[in-house]
Amino acid sequence: MTIEGWILLVLSWSSIIAVVAYCMAKVLKRKG
Amino acid sequence: MPAINKREKWASKIGLILALAGNAIGLGNFLRFPVQAAENGGGAFMIPYFVALIIMGIPLMWAECAIGRMGGRYGQGHTAGMFELMWRHPCSKYLGMLGIFIPFTIALYYIYITSWTLAYGYFSLTGDYFGVATRETMGAYLRGFQGVESNQYFSSISPSYLAYLTTLGMSLYIVYHGISGGIERLGKIAMPLLFLIGVALAVRVLTFGTPDPNYPENNVLNGLGFVWNPQPERLTNPTIWLAAAGQIFFTLSVATGAVPTYTSYMREEDDVALTGLSTAGLNELAEVVLGGTIAITAAVAFFGLAETEEIARRGAFDLGFQALPMIFQKIPLGHLFGALWFLLLFFAGVTSVVALTQPVMALFQDGFGWSRGKTTCVVLAALFLLTQPVIFFLKHGFLDELDFWVGSFALVFFALIETIQFAWVFGMERGWNEITRGAAISVPRPFYYVIKYVTPLFLLFILAAWAVQDVPNKIFMVGVKPEDAPYVWGARGMMIALLLVFGFLVKIASGKKGERS
Repeated sequence: MTIEGWILLVLSWSSIIAVVAYCMAKVLKRKG
Repeated sequence: MPAINKREKWASKIGLILALAGNAIGLGNFLRFPVQAAENGGGAFMIPYFVALIIMGIPLMWAECAIGRMGGRYGQGHTAGMFELMWRHPCSKYLGMLGIFIPFTIALYYIYITSWTLAYGYFSLTGDYFGVATRETMGAYLRGFQGVESNQYFSSISPSYLAYLTTLGMSLYIVYHGISGGIERLGKIAMPLLFLIGVALAVRVLTFGTPDPNYPENNVLNGLGFVWNPQPERLTNPTIWLAAAGQIFFTLSVATGAVPTYTSYMREEDDVALTGLSTAGLNELAEVVLGGTIAITAAVAFFGLAETEEIARRGAFDLGFQALPMIFQKIPLGHLFGALWFLLLFFAGVTSVVALTQPVMALFQDGFGWSRGKTTCVVLAALFLLTQPVIFFLKHGFLDELDFWVGSFALVFFALIETIQFAWVFGMERGWNEITRGAAISVPRPFYYVIKYVTPLFLLFILAAWAVQDVPNKIFMVGVKPEDAPYVWGARGMMIALLLVFGFLVKIASGKKGERS
């Protein structure tokens, strides 16, 4: 695994996790 | 037209999002994505992948959610009725009919494929394939199970058929229990379990280290590198962009008709933007974080780079049903991890099967006023009868023919029509109002122009590229054995017959709606 590979992995994972966390926080805040 | 509000509704917002995520997350998240990434430039693949997600995947998801919520407002749960609402032209319902024909036809073979995961989960627990030591013999095991050949592992198709009947029965049982009582409940159970199992498997794979010290290069880090190390020079190759766009398209399960149908059961105050973004986010979490970690990484750690490249070239099923079962035989608690892997795939598959079945349910329930029980019986009978050639003519390419025309080509064609219908016929101003009305998140204005101009052009590019690359060979049956040709023609005949039947049903449903109005 190269450093560029690690950078892409961390960037991708963190972006996705941040979007999901933001969305779930909004959804649960609105209650259903 | 008066709004009709007697239809079922989702019991909760999170229930709707989990059901939509269940529709989007399928076998492809765990089998197709890592193979596509590894074959198309590794980490460099992620650049066109995320570009396609932003300019095509998320806009399409928003457009479909908006179309669905608007359709539901007028009691229309199928795209034929929704298209009529957007464009009052005799042709519109027939274009929308594709959103019923496509999911129903995909369901015919997706149910069967999903049933393999159920059977393999059982085989993992009982250790049935333990001792089948090579990829070649695991291939024979799979072919024997599918009934493609009779061999020492399986002398008949009975185990496969039993798994199919179980999967079909379970799926229709869930659909029979309706939106909140069946599909929402399934999503609330299956999706959290899927993520839990996915995390457990990912952690197990990441702790493989170097399984065989005699081959130190076969290790987890090289496995991750196989998926993630970028080959930037390949970004100039249009094939990579096409592969990434195709992957985004399939992974979100847009243009199958399921998203508009599911969102037609939303409440008026439920918002489209957050629902669509949450669905896409959960799907990407399953695909990129879990799907990109489990299968290919494990394969490299146990088989090495060269053999994994060969496995990836041979396709997703070789990876999931041949390579991984061999790994489960080599690790402690392999029975358990094998069962968990196939249970993960089963949850991913069955939630998608249910979603693919719902548009045709909505046609009969909303269009004909049939009860849920009567509709379930008719749909069950139709699915059962029409799946028989898929099962028994598998070795003759029947399933592959359906998958190419309906599961690939028609999907992109329908997405293009849907986008043009939404952004140009219905009008982007009204479409934008539908997307942003009551939204809990602010949708950036540039997406107005992305949906209107970029998404249709991008879809046109994919459709044209596939039409040039693959369609001529498919039409003229290049590579099809002469003895398989009648079966391929049979698959084509069935698709045409289904198109005619659904066209006829949609015409009747439209007439009934006119009478009611």
